[in-house]
Amino acid sequence: MRELMIVIKKELTELLRDRKTIINSIVLPTLLIPLLMFGGIKVTQMIQKSNEEKTITIGMVNAPEDFLKMVKHDTLNRVINYSESIDCKALIDEGTIQTALVFPSDWTSRMDSLAPNEIQVYRNGTKDNVNGRVSNILESYNTTLKEQRIARLRIPIEKMTPFTENYVEVGEQKELIGKRVGGFIPYIFILTMWGGCLLAAIDLVTGEKERKTIETTLSLPISKFSVLLGKAIVASLLGFMPALLNLTGLIVGLQIIADIPDTFKTALNEMLNFQSISMILLLLIPFSMFLAGFIISLVAGATTFKEAQSKASPLIIAIIIPLVMALVPGIEFTWSTVFIPVLNIGLGVKEIMAGTINMGMYVAMLLSLIAFAVTAIYFSYKKFSDENAILK
Amino acid sequence: MGTNGCVLIKIENMIQLTNLTKSFSSKTGKGFKKETVTVNAVNAVSFECKPGRIFSLLGPNGAGKTTTLRMIAGIINPTSGSAIVDGVDVSKGNNEVKKRIGFLTGSTGLYERLNPDETLDFFGNIYQLEKDSYQQRKAYLFEKLGINEFRKKRIGQMSTGMKQKVSIARTLIHDPEVLIFDEPTSGLDVITADSIIDLIRESKADHKTVIFSSHIMSEVDLLCDDLAIINKGSIIYNDSFANFKNDMKADNLTQEFINRVKEA
Repeated sequence: MRELMIVIKKELTELLRDRKTIINSIVLPTLLIPLLMFGGIKVTQMIQKSNEEKTITIGMVNAPEDFLKMVKHDTLNRVINYSESIDCKALIDEGTIQTALVFPSDWTSRMDSLAPNEIQVYRNGTKDNVNGRVSNILESYNTTLKEQRIARLRIPIEKMTPFTENYVEVGEQKELIGKRVGGFIPYIFILTMWGGCLLAAIDLVTGEKERKTIETTLSLPISKFSVLLGKAIVASLLGFMPALLNLTGLIVGLQIIADIPDTFKTALNEMLNFQSISMILLLLIPFSMFLAGFIISLVAGATTFKEAQSKASPLIIAIIIPLVMALVPGIEFTWSTVFIPVLNIGLGVKEIMAGTINMGMYVAMLLSLIAFAVTAIYFSYKKFSDENAILK
Repeated sequence: MGTNGCVLIKIENMIQLTNLTKSFSSKTGKGFKKETVTVNAVNAVSFECKPGRIFSLLGPNGAGKTTTLRMIAGIINPTSGSAIVDGVDVSKGNNEVKKRIGFLTGSTGLYERLNPDETLDFFGNIYQLEKDSYQQRKAYLFEKLGINEFRKKRIGQMSTGMKQKVSIARTLIHDPEVLIFDEPTSGLDVITADSIIDLIRESKADHKTVIFSSHIMSEVDLLCDDLAIINKGSIIYNDSFANFKNDMKADNLTQEFINRVKEA
């Protein structure tokens, strides 16, 4: 134990003096979530504002006066009136107009006789802003005309409304948001954990070979297992730390970033309580050990940093696929998914955040992660003890 | 009495190698037609090193010198045969015996992000040295090797000579009974090289067992008591240095060494 602590202290000192490690394992994870939140909100607001301020040009054919007045009321709408013979599609394609509304030539007489009418709307389905604004204008015009007709027919308006809907939400806001947002949170911190572990493990094993210190370490009167375990613990710590900092960043971000919708903020604050955070972090301890052991066993035979990176990096796919699966609707946290590493964390964290985790399944997941961690450390020790691999 | 005032118990052979053999397996070929090839890097090597004497292990590059030294230091295990250091078989994984060895080769680099002070503290802790004697020993080595002026500088920012001085200090910090030096003066200026030669002589006077390997024949001539020449994994000469010199047919040590290797 004493020698293990000496190894951990030395490895940690060395790693924390490496600028790459500091940026990757401390600076980036701390800032990542607040920056994503802040950036996301700001970008959405900017897009929204820019759309609202954008002038759109609408081509009109046979448009009635009251409709033209309604459209022109918004100064951001520019109207060009055309005769019936124009090619609306060509005008939209060449950018003269963004959309076109073609009213029937007998619009007024059909309206007077209360007959049904049809407006041809030429539009490009990809222009959401234009289409949304035109839909709103048409909906509003339709409502106005409907009310005028009802008034003409002398029918009380409430008789034309057979029913209204009143939705009563029985699911908790926390559960709803937890299941939606909870899937994305492990996505972020597992990737930063992987990055932290990968860099640390490569530096501690392959880096030692490159710097020609592995032989110095092996000549010390300590067991190879202590050396390996010390390295694995430090690599896992450098993987665990980003996750911890991600969560800290999320909590701090929620407090300091303005413009986060109140319902969202309240629900997230409620789900990020001491119990849920402790449960998540407890899972991440064996998981980071599993990652560290796994990566060390992969890179133990590599002789250069580049070779180690090329050996370990493709395995990011093995991390991303289960994480994406955890976001797929229909894949639930069950007794069959509880034992699949990465997927179980993705699904489990969702349940923890939503407050619906089954404790029996949580314990099973924790134990399975411990078993995976022990197995990974065993294999990394086997690889680390291989003279051909380690002294190559 | 040794120079540090300890009473010395005379041991006949501090290091005893008997038929020490090391084979390495590697896979050659492509696809499914891979074959395992086994190469004997060290083949039935036997020799003894006595306390108070400096043993030189010489050989051309790739002769098996480093592999032999690694087996003595317990870094790798022999395929067969034994390496007994201070009565203990090193291959049995006994870490206690490693505490009695100071090992320095071209492949034993230093931790670049630590400074000399931290490096020595790390080794002192690992060797479980008593605080006062450790501080005394560190002060002595730092003074002797001129490390004080750069003791707080990161090793990664040091010159080759400075690094080698720190390497020597960390090798000697626990005052080991057995010292293995492979090219210890490589890359050093003559003044520093001289102080290292001085330290090796001091170790001999302190009744330590020293294995010394160098390509600088003048240093071998200066220090060596016993000599073994290894070539292609096998010992081709093993006797006292005095006898080697008496039997010399060439004009100088270098030429004699070359002739012996070529004849083998």
